[in-house]
Amino acid sequence: MGESLRDSHRVRRGGRGHTAAVWAAGCVVVALAQVAAAEDAPSFNRDIRPILANSCFVCHGPDSGTREAELRLDTEEGATEWAIVAGDAEGSEVIARVTSDDPEVRMPPAKSKKPPLTPEQIELLRKWINAGAEYEPHWAYIPPERPPVPEVRVAASAAADADASLRHGESSIGETRPLDWPRNDIDRFLLARMESRGIGPSPEADRVTLIRRLYFDLIGLPPTPAEIDEFVADTRPDAYEQLVERLLASPAFGERMATWWFDLVRFATTVGYHGDQDQRITPYRDYVIKAFNDNMPFSQFTIEQLAGDLLPNPTMWQLVATGYNRVLQTTHEGGAQDAEYRAIYLADRVRNFSETWMAGSVGCAQCHDHKFDPYTQEEFYSLAAFFADVDEYGSFSSVGGNELPTERPPEMLAWTLPIYERMQKVDARIAELEAALVGLLDNDWEKRRAEMIQLKKERLDLEAQFVPTMVTRAVEPREIRVLPRGNWMDKSGPVVQPHTPQFMRQLDTGDRRANRLDLAKWLVSRDHPLTARVVVNRLWKIYYGVGLSKVLIDMGSRGEAPQNQELLDWLAIEFMDSGWDMKHMIRLMVTSSAYRQSSVPRPEVDTLDPDNRLAARQSRFRLQAEEIRDNALAVSGLLVNKLGGEIVKPYQPAKYYSALNFPEREYTPSSGDDQFRRAVYVHWQRQFLHPALLAFDAPTREECTADRPISSTPTAALVLLNDPSFVEAAKALAAKILTNNDMNDDNQRIHWAWRQVLGREAQSEEAAQLAELLHKHRAEYTADPKAAEALVSVGISAKPKDLNVTDLAAWTSVSRVLLNLNETITRN
Amino acid sequence: MLNFEFQRELIARRSFLGRASLGIGSMALAGLLEPRVLAAAAGAKSGGGYAGVVNPRHFAPKAKRVIFLCMAGGPSQLELFDEKPKLSAMNGQPVPESVTKGQPIAQLQSQKELLCFGSQSTFGHFGHSGQVISNYLPHIGGIADDICIVRSMQTEQINHDPAHTFMNTGTAISGRPSMGAWVNYGLGTDCADLPGFVVLTSRAGTRSPQPVSSRQWHSGFLPGKFQGVPLHSTGDPVHYVGNPPGVDRRRQQDVISTVNKLNRMRDAVEHNPEIATRIAQYELAFRMQMSVPELVNIADEPQHVLDSYGVTGADGSYAYNCLLARRLAERGVRFIHLYHRDWDFHDGLRQHIVDLCQSADQPTAALIKDLKQRGMLDDTLVIWGGEFGRTPMAQGDVTQAKAGRDHHIRGFTMWLAGGGIKRGMSYGATDDLGYHAVENVVHVNDLHATMLYLLGIDHERLTYRYQGRDFRLTDVAGKVVRDILA
Repeated sequence: MGESLRDSHRVRRGGRGHTAAVWAAGCVVVALAQVAAAEDAPSFNRDIRPILANSCFVCHGPDSGTREAELRLDTEEGATEWAIVAGDAEGSEVIARVTSDDPEVRMPPAKSKKPPLTPEQIELLRKWINAGAEYEPHWAYIPPERPPVPEVRVAASAAADADASLRHGESSIGETRPLDWPRNDIDRFLLARMESRGIGPSPEADRVTLIRRLYFDLIGLPPTPAEIDEFVADTRPDAYEQLVERLLASPAFGERMATWWFDLVRFATTVGYHGDQDQRITPYRDYVIKAFNDNMPFSQFTIEQLAGDLLPNPTMWQLVATGYNRVLQTTHEGGAQDAEYRAIYLADRVRNFSETWMAGSVGCAQCHDHKFDPYTQEEFYSLAAFFADVDEYGSFSSVGGNELPTERPPEMLAWTLPIYERMQKVDARIAELEAALVGLLDNDWEKRRAEMIQLKKERLDLEAQFVPTMVTRAVEPREIRVLPRGNWMDKSGPVVQPHTPQFMRQLDTGDRRANRLDLAKWLVSRDHPLTARVVVNRLWKIYYGVGLSKVLIDMGSRGEAPQNQELLDWLAIEFMDSGWDMKHMIRLMVTSSAYRQSSVPRPEVDTLDPDNRLAARQSRFRLQAEEIRDNALAVSGLLVNKLGGEIVKPYQPAKYYSALNFPEREYTPSSGDDQFRRAVYVHWQRQFLHPALLAFDAPTREECTADRPISSTPTAALVLLNDPSFVEAAKALAAKILTNNDMNDDNQRIHWAWRQVLGREAQSEEAAQLAELLHKHRAEYTADPKAAEALVSVGISAKPKDLNVTDLAAWTSVSRVLLNLNETITRN
Repeated sequence: MLNFEFQRELIARRSFLGRASLGIGSMALAGLLEPRVLAAAAGAKSGGGYAGVVNPRHFAPKAKRVIFLCMAGGPSQLELFDEKPKLSAMNGQPVPESVTKGQPIAQLQSQKELLCFGSQSTFGHFGHSGQVISNYLPHIGGIADDICIVRSMQTEQINHDPAHTFMNTGTAISGRPSMGAWVNYGLGTDCADLPGFVVLTSRAGTRSPQPVSSRQWHSGFLPGKFQGVPLHSTGDPVHYVGNPPGVDRRRQQDVISTVNKLNRMRDAVEHNPEIATRIAQYELAFRMQMSVPELVNIADEPQHVLDSYGVTGADGSYAYNCLLARRLAERGVRFIHLYHRDWDFHDGLRQHIVDLCQSADQPTAALIKDLKQRGMLDDTLVIWGGEFGRTPMAQGDVTQAKAGRDHHIRGFTMWLAGGGIKRGMSYGATDDLGYHAVENVVHVNDLHATMLYLLGIDHERLTYRYQGRDFRLTDVAGKVVRDILA
C-alpha cells in the first residue's frame, strides 16, 4: 500500500497521530504512531465521542424524536450552530453547561440520572474544542485501508540478550526483542504496540499446551496422547504449521466453526415461541458445516444464505442455505395476528442480519431514530423491505399444527451431508465403472457388472433419503411501511422501498427494486466498511480471547474503538484481498508467534495491561459448553465421529419438558451411537435448552449471540459431577484405564489416565491425591459391591464383562475427578 | 463440612488479599468477563459473597424478597375481582364499536360478532375494608384486609408467550433478563446455600396448561448466575443435585475435595483466579446437595400447616409450591416465582373458573397468612396475577356453557401484598364494561418500577450496558405507583 493512501486515511481520521513512524535512538522496534502522545489534541472518535454518546446523545443525538433544545451534538453542523465554538472552549455553551454549579443549568440534568462529567472528561472536551473541535466520522463507518506493516529493526547487540530473557520468560520491560520473534505481520503489529508500551512478548508455550490449544481452537476436540507425542517429537522446522494444516483439513473443523456461526444466526431446531415445536432445518446445519470444511469464501457464504434462491440456477445447497432467512423464532399460537407477526419477523431479520454481518444495532431504530448511530427509523424499515419477499405467513396457524415437527412452509426436500457425501462417492465410482465399460470383456467384467448394479441400487436408495428443510422462496414483495413507534397496527407511516442506510454506499439498481441478492453483495463489497472488520474481529476473539474491538456485537459508536485499529484494518483488508478466505485468516492468526505465547500471566505486564489487550501473552478461558461435552466423550473413548445427519438427544432429566405444551411431549434420549455424537448435533430446544449446555453458557439462540459469557456457577459444577453423560464418560474412561493398556500398577495407570485427560504428565503429588482416592474407594466399594454395581451401570454403553466391578467403580471415582478439574475444562 | 468452611476461608483470603501483588492483572482479567459483578463482589463482604450492584440501596428498602404468583394463561378479572353490573345487564348484546375500534384482538379476530358476556360468578364484600372479590375466592376474601387490588393493569402483548416475556422482562424481544435475574443482579442474595432466584411450576390438571418457557427466568445478557433455577417435584428437585447411583454423600465429598485439592495445586503453577471461583462453586454445589433435599423435605411441617395450604404430599401441586415458597423465603431466597399454568379460558369458562379457583384460592391465602403469622409478610412482597386478563366479550356462543373469554390487555387485575404495600386497598378502575382501564392506570413497567422501589432500587439506575445501550427492566418507561405504598 502506498504512502498516499495511508496518508489520506490518516488525514480523515484526524488527530490520531501525525507521523507514520517514530524512530528513536536505541529503540529497537519502530512502529506506526499508534500511541497517541499525551500532548496530542484529543481525537473525536477515541476520546470525545464516547463522552458525548454516554452523557449527551440521548437528548442531543441522532434521534429527532427526543431531541431537546433543537440541539444535536453528534454532527459538527449541529454542534457548532451555537453550542460549540471551535477553538474557544470557554466561549462554548457546552463547557459552561457541563461545568455549571447551578442544577438548573448543569448538563446532563438531574432528571436524566446521568452522573456529571468527570474533571478528566471536561478537560478532554476543553482541549478538543480549543484544538478546533474537529469532528470525525465514526471509525467503523470509514472503509478500511491497508496500513503499512510496522517495520522491525533490531539492535544487533541487544538481540542475543533478549532472546535469552525470552527463553526464561523473564521480565522484558524496557528490553529489546529479537528480530526473529515476528513470524508474520500480525506479530509486527502487536510487537510494535508492545514496544511502544515498553513490554515484550511472553515466551512460547510448551508443545503440550500448544497442541491442546490448537486442537480446541480449530476443531473443538482434545488431542490424544499419541498425537501429542508425535507433535512433541516432531523436529521438522514446520512441525507446527503442518499440524495447523492437518487440523484445518479435518472435518471436525467445520463442526467447530459451525457452532460459532449458529450462535450468530440463532440456529435452533425448534420454533421458539409458544409451543416451541420442532422444525425441519437439519440440512441447513449440514450446509454450514460443509461450507466451513470446503473453505467456501465468506462472501459466497453470505450471498447463499441471504439470497441463494435468487442466484441463477441455484444448487440444492444454495437453496438449503436460504434456511438462514427462516431460522428465526416463529409461532402458530392461536390468536396471533398475521400482520403483527409479519412485523415481528421483519424486525427480527433486520436485527439479526445487521448484528451478524455489520455488528450494528440497527434494531434500536425500530421505534425511533437510533440514539447513537446514524440509522434513522425510516432506514430500519428500508432494510426490512429487503426481506419483504420472504414471508408468506405471519402466524403459521393456518398450516403449522401442534405436531412434532410442525410445518413451516416453504420447505424443500434435501439430503443431509452423510447421504450427500455417500452419493458423491457412489457417483464417482459409477463413473469409473462406466468408463471401464468401454473396453474388453475380461475376467473382471462380471464383478464390475455386479458392483455397478449394487451401486445403482444404492444410489436410488440414497436418493430417497431426503428430508424436508425450511428455505426461502421469493414471493411478490409486500408493502412495507414505517411503523410509528414500532406499532404494527398504525398504518399511517410512509411506504418505503429497500435501500441501504444513507451514510453508507447506496445501491444502484436503476428501476429495478433492490432485493436480498443486492443486499448480500453490498455486505461483501470491497467498500463496505463493516463486514470484513466484523468477521476478523470475531475470529480474533476465538484465537486470542478478546476482540481487537471488545464489543463483538456492536461496532457502532457505542462499541469500542479498537485498541489496534491498524491491525484490525490490516486483517480486514487481508481477508478481502484473499477472496474472503476463512482458513487463510485463521491460519494467519494461529501461526503467529503471538498466538503461540504462554498464557501464564506476568505480573509486571498484567499491571500495565490488565485486560491483555496488547496480547503480550495468550489468553486462557474455560472451554465452551459443546467442547466440555465433546472433550469428556473424546477422552473416555465414547465419542462417535459422524459428520452431519440426524439430530441427537443426550440423556436429560426426566420431565424437563413438562412446562412445554402444544403438544405435551416426552423426551427420548438417543440410543446407540447417536448418544455419543458431538454437541453441535444436539437437539436445540430454544425454550428448554439441554441443562448441561445451558449451565456452561450456551445461548438459547433466540437472538444473535456474538460473545458468549463465561460464568462459573454451582449449577455447572453439578452438571460435571452428576449428569449421567459425564458419569458414563467417567465409567468409560475407567474401563479404558483398566483395559486399554498393559500396565498393572495403580501408579502407572493414574499417570496414563492423567495424560489421557489433560495431555500433560501428572506431578507426583497430583498422582498421589488420586491414588489416595483410589485406594479409599476401592476399599469402600469392596465393602459395598451393590453401590459399585450401581455406579458402573450408569448409561447405555456396555461395560466390559471381565472387569472387576469394585475396581471399575473406584477408577470411576478417579475419572470423575479428572473430568471435573478446572484444567480439564480450560484452554490455556 | 468444617473442612470445607476452612477451605473457603483460605480461598477468600487468598483471592482477595493474598494476591494483591499478582492480583490486579489477574483480577482484571476475570473482570473482563463480568466487570461490574466482580467489582461489586470485591467490594462486598469478605468471603466473596455477592452483594449486588445496588449496594448501598438507592432507597431504604421495605421488602427483602419477592414472591410472584403468576397465574399463567390470564385469569379472568371479570369473574374474580372486577364486578361489572352493566356488562351483565348487556349480556348477549353487541359491544359498542366505540369501545373496541382500533384495539388489538387475539382469537376473536375470526369471530363475526363481539357480544357482551356478563360475569359468570357473584361477588361479595370481604373484610373490614369491604373489598369486592368473587365468591369463588372465599379464602382470598379472608385476606382482603392484607392485600391491595389493582384493577387498572395494562400490558402490551396480547398473546401468551410474548405477554409472559413482557411481564418478566419489560419487552417482548427475547434475550433480555427476567425480573428475578435483575433483582438478584441488583441485590445479590442472603442465602449462601441456595440460588437467589427459584422457579416453581404447577398445573391444576383440569385442562390443557399453558406452556411456560425457560426464557421467562433466563438471565438474558446478565451473567448466567442470575438465572432462575427451577425446582422440580419429580426426579432431582434441582437438576443434577442428586449424587450418581452408588455414590453416597461421603464418597461425593471425597471426589469434590480431591478435585479442589488438585485445582489448588495447579493454581500454584497457573496463578489463575478462575480456579478460586471454581473451588468456591464446587463447595456451594456440595452444600446445595444438602440444602436442597432439606428444603423440599416437608416432613417437619406440622399437620395444621399442611392442612392450611391443602398440601397432601410433595406432589408439585400449586399448594405444595406455595408451601415451598414460604420455605424458600425463610431461607433468604431473593426471588421466588410460581407459575400456575391453567388460567386460559377460551371456552368453558363457567366450569373452568370454578376448578381453577378451587386449586388456587386456599393455598394463596394460606401463604399470605403463614408469612404474616411468622412476621415475614412485612418484608416479603407478594404479587398475584396473570400475563394479561380476559375480554368482556364472549368467545364462542354467549348463551352456552362453553362460552369463554379471549386475551385482554387494556384492563385487568392484579393484587399485591406485604413488603411496603398498603393493606385492604382497591386501586384503579376499568370502564363500565370492564374493557379499558380508565382510572389510575398501572402499566407493567409501573409494576416493575414499584416492585424495585420497594426493594430499595431506583428502576432508572439499575442498568446494564449491552450492545452499547444501558438496559433497564423498565425499558424507557415506568413510574412508581406511590398511591399504593404503605
